[in-house]
Amino acid sequence: MEEFLRTLLIGLATGSVYAMAAVGLVLTYKTSRILNLGYGAVAMFTTFVYWQFSVQWGMPLWLSALIVIFVVAPLLGFFLDSQLFRRIEGQPIVIGLMATVGLSVLLQGIVVLIWKAEVRTVPSLFPTTPINIPGGATLGTDQVMVLVISFGSAAALAAMLRFTRIGIAFRAVVDNRAVAGLMSINTSLISGLSWALGTSFAALTGILLAPRLFLDPITLPFFIIAFLLGAAMVGYLESMPLAFAGGLLIGVAQAFLVQYGTFRGVIGNIGNAAPFLIVTVLLLLAPRRLRRAATGGSFVVRTRELAEHASARARVGVGVALFGFIAVFPLLSDSISWQRSLTFGLIHALIFLSLVILTGFSGQISLGHTAFLGIASFSTAHFIGDLGWPVWIAFIIGALAAVPAGALLGLVAVRLHGLFLGLVTLAFAFMAQDLFFTESFVSGREGSVEVPRPPGGESDLSFYYLVLMLLVVFVIVATNLRTGRTGRVLAALRDSETASRSLGIKVVKYKVFIFSLSAFIAAFGGILASMQKESANRLDFLPFYAIVYLTVAVLGGIFHIGGAIAAGLFYGLYRQVFREVPFMLDIQLILFGLGATLALAQNPEGMFGEMRRGGNAILRLLGRRRPPRAEPLPVAGGQE
Amino acid sequence: MSTLKTEAVTVRFGGLLAVDQASIEVTEGGFAGLIGPNGAGKTTLFNAICGYAAPTRGRVLLDGRDITTMAPSRRAKLGIGRTFQKLELFHRMSAFDNLLVAAESASSKLDLVSDLLHLPRRPREERRCAAIAEGVMAELDLGWARDRRASDLPVGTARILELGRALCTNPTMLLLDEPSSGLDSSETKAFGKLLQRVNSERRVSILLVEHDMDLVMEVCRYIHVLDFGGIIAHGTPNEVAGDSAVRTAYLGEEDDADPAPAAER
Repeated sequence: MEEFLRTLLIGLATGSVYAMAAVGLVLTYKTSRILNLGYGAVAMFTTFVYWQFSVQWGMPLWLSALIVIFVVAPLLGFFLDSQLFRRIEGQPIVIGLMATVGLSVLLQGIVVLIWKAEVRTVPSLFPTTPINIPGGATLGTDQVMVLVISFGSAAALAAMLRFTRIGIAFRAVVDNRAVAGLMSINTSLISGLSWALGTSFAALTGILLAPRLFLDPITLPFFIIAFLLGAAMVGYLESMPLAFAGGLLIGVAQAFLVQYGTFRGVIGNIGNAAPFLIVTVLLLLAPRRLRRAATGGSFVVRTRELAEHASARARVGVGVALFGFIAVFPLLSDSISWQRSLTFGLIHALIFLSLVILTGFSGQISLGHTAFLGIASFSTAHFIGDLGWPVWIAFIIGALAAVPAGALLGLVAVRLHGLFLGLVTLAFAFMAQDLFFTESFVSGREGSVEVPRPPGGESDLSFYYLVLMLLVVFVIVATNLRTGRTGRVLAALRDSETASRSLGIKVVKYKVFIFSLSAFIAAFGGILASMQKESANRLDFLPFYAIVYLTVAVLGGIFHIGGAIAAGLFYGLYRQVFREVPFMLDIQLILFGLGATLALAQNPEGMFGEMRRGGNAILRLLGRRRPPRAEPLPVAGGQE
Repeated sequence: MSTLKTEAVTVRFGGLLAVDQASIEVTEGGFAGLIGPNGAGKTTLFNAICGYAAPTRGRVLLDGRDITTMAPSRRAKLGIGRTFQKLELFHRMSAFDNLLVAAESASSKLDLVSDLLHLPRRPREERRCAAIAEGVMAELDLGWARDRRASDLPVGTARILELGRALCTNPTMLLLDEPSSGLDSSETKAFGKLLQRVNSERRVSILLVEHDMDLVMEVCRYIHVLDFGGIIAHGTPNEVAGDSAVRTAYLGEEDDADPAPAAER
């Protein structure tokens, strides 16, 4: 009984931090409709500042904490609001998610650059002397203080929203921003305030949690955001009280799992996967009203395409020229390193292509593609290593192994749209990682299994041509998809599911199909990537990469097959540059984060769109093309 | 040509009784109207017929066949075509592609593999379906909008395009949900004429849900009046216009009020 009570209290203490943090996350989501996936990174970053003040500069702990929470964090919040969040407000879901992930990577990069990628220990704000609790248990003073502070700050926020003028303005902005603006409420001030508050909550979260955990720039943000999403989802991102309750619940559940559960070793790393399991179940069970609320009036990608379309002849011409260049490249250059980078880029072009057909053609979203890559790569490895199958057969069957997983997400997409679909696919990638990829029966004792190249593709040169061949095959398939009946149906579904049904189109069939095809194409990319380095490692398929892939695909141009190629070539070039210039490695994260956050807010058509515009301008100069007819830009919007 | 019948259809949303034992009928080749003041339950009954709302009780029969629990896409295959009160065009696609995708959904025999591999079947089937879409385009005089993006079209044209899209599936029963909303009176008149033509030339049965009295009185041959979820009257336009219950419910208490169309929301 005493132990039970103690476990409960410890769970409540940790849970109260999650709870308070979840409230901060929901607060900013409600005022801006941006789900800040960088929340964990903001907490980590501000905690590093706290560590710098207290441990490095020897300032008193309480003073450092006060400065960080009441000065540094709000300033950071205002800054991020004016420079980033306000720019991506009202943008498509993909842009919002990518930009906040970009922010996360950027903050991680800055921390690594300043403080190095080392794990630090953070002193606790309060002494750990035990206090007697009625009922016979004892609890550390720090734990009690954590409980008091978390409940206190959440209560203070609730009181502010309920009783003050500012609180009423907040709620007005949440209800209807445009109307609130008409009522002479300063909506940008409110938005800035909410981000300042949210950032302060994040800082408090980090400062309270870090002593119990570890201050690690790479893993801590993901750890925090995982638990917060689980908590926030209890209120479906809409209700702060429910998010608070969710946080408490998760903390208590976690404490009891640690105390009594011996799950570890039974089914993988269930402790890490648990929040994602919760997110998935809650979202799938969400009532229709809430499932709609998260997508109401929003859209996955900007519903605007280039007004000018190149002629079919010009397109084929550019395609053939590009293919010719790539085909003869190895014969012209004897740089093995460049050839390998180009191979790497072409393999990823395949992965980006799988995202183009899913998001660009069909308006669906997946942040879980690493699951497909991993399933296919590890299946292939085991088919070859354990079952002794011929490499070619294992290659094909391995790619097919990802298809059921794709079909499963297709079924999820029948029920969920937009942001919620993105979150479930992300959770799927995390679960695949935590429950399977990290387990020794999948990735071996050393965390890595061998994936040999198929006969005929063993040398770097022949492997290069194998990759190119597969890419060409799937580019042709994707082109046929886009121009044909199936592509039209997918586009119709993207624009209006309701109307599609009224025409006799079977929504389930097509969603399952497009997710399956996308998984299949991605699977080839995943296996080829493993074959290139002749091994599949458990760290190759971190869910984080799924977000990176989507980001790069959007940067390349998510609407176009050419965009996938551009993104692939860019990715290959990126690899080459970072290999040759060692200094660049240090700022790689920063560059990527900056690139993603800034570029995405600017041009949703990506590099391909820019290149095509440039190409058309040149054609016009040469007098080969009439200027595009003036067309009014359609309003970016749509119904899910 | 089809017949449509609802038998004592009831739709309940939680505690709210939206449709209460409504029985209506559309005869073979008929042109029926369903009218009622705002909030009477017209659209809910309409959705129950199309499969977008589930009746709590009662049956929906198409040609005598019970379709009450069928998915919308199956009903479409059986010959039901519909339009939407709030336009539901494929707004990023061209007007022509809006029609083509509908024609293909109903008539194309193209399988996935032939489509993705561009086998010889594909151009053959595409030509066949494109011809259907072209036919409808000519029939409704939409040629000028052919390559315009659907979201760029004016509302009047968009309504006609939505009608055309439904016609591309060769429906035997056409259901129209408040097609006059967003149209001015001359556009409404023209749309009514178009519907009459479609009804007689294509020999397709039509159920028109409207609150624009003038339109319904002019084009429908039989009218059902819905109020507070229940059918309060039915008959020819003249009979309904003379019905005192209808005048009270629909036109307000004052018996001598002009039969003005109900105000748009």
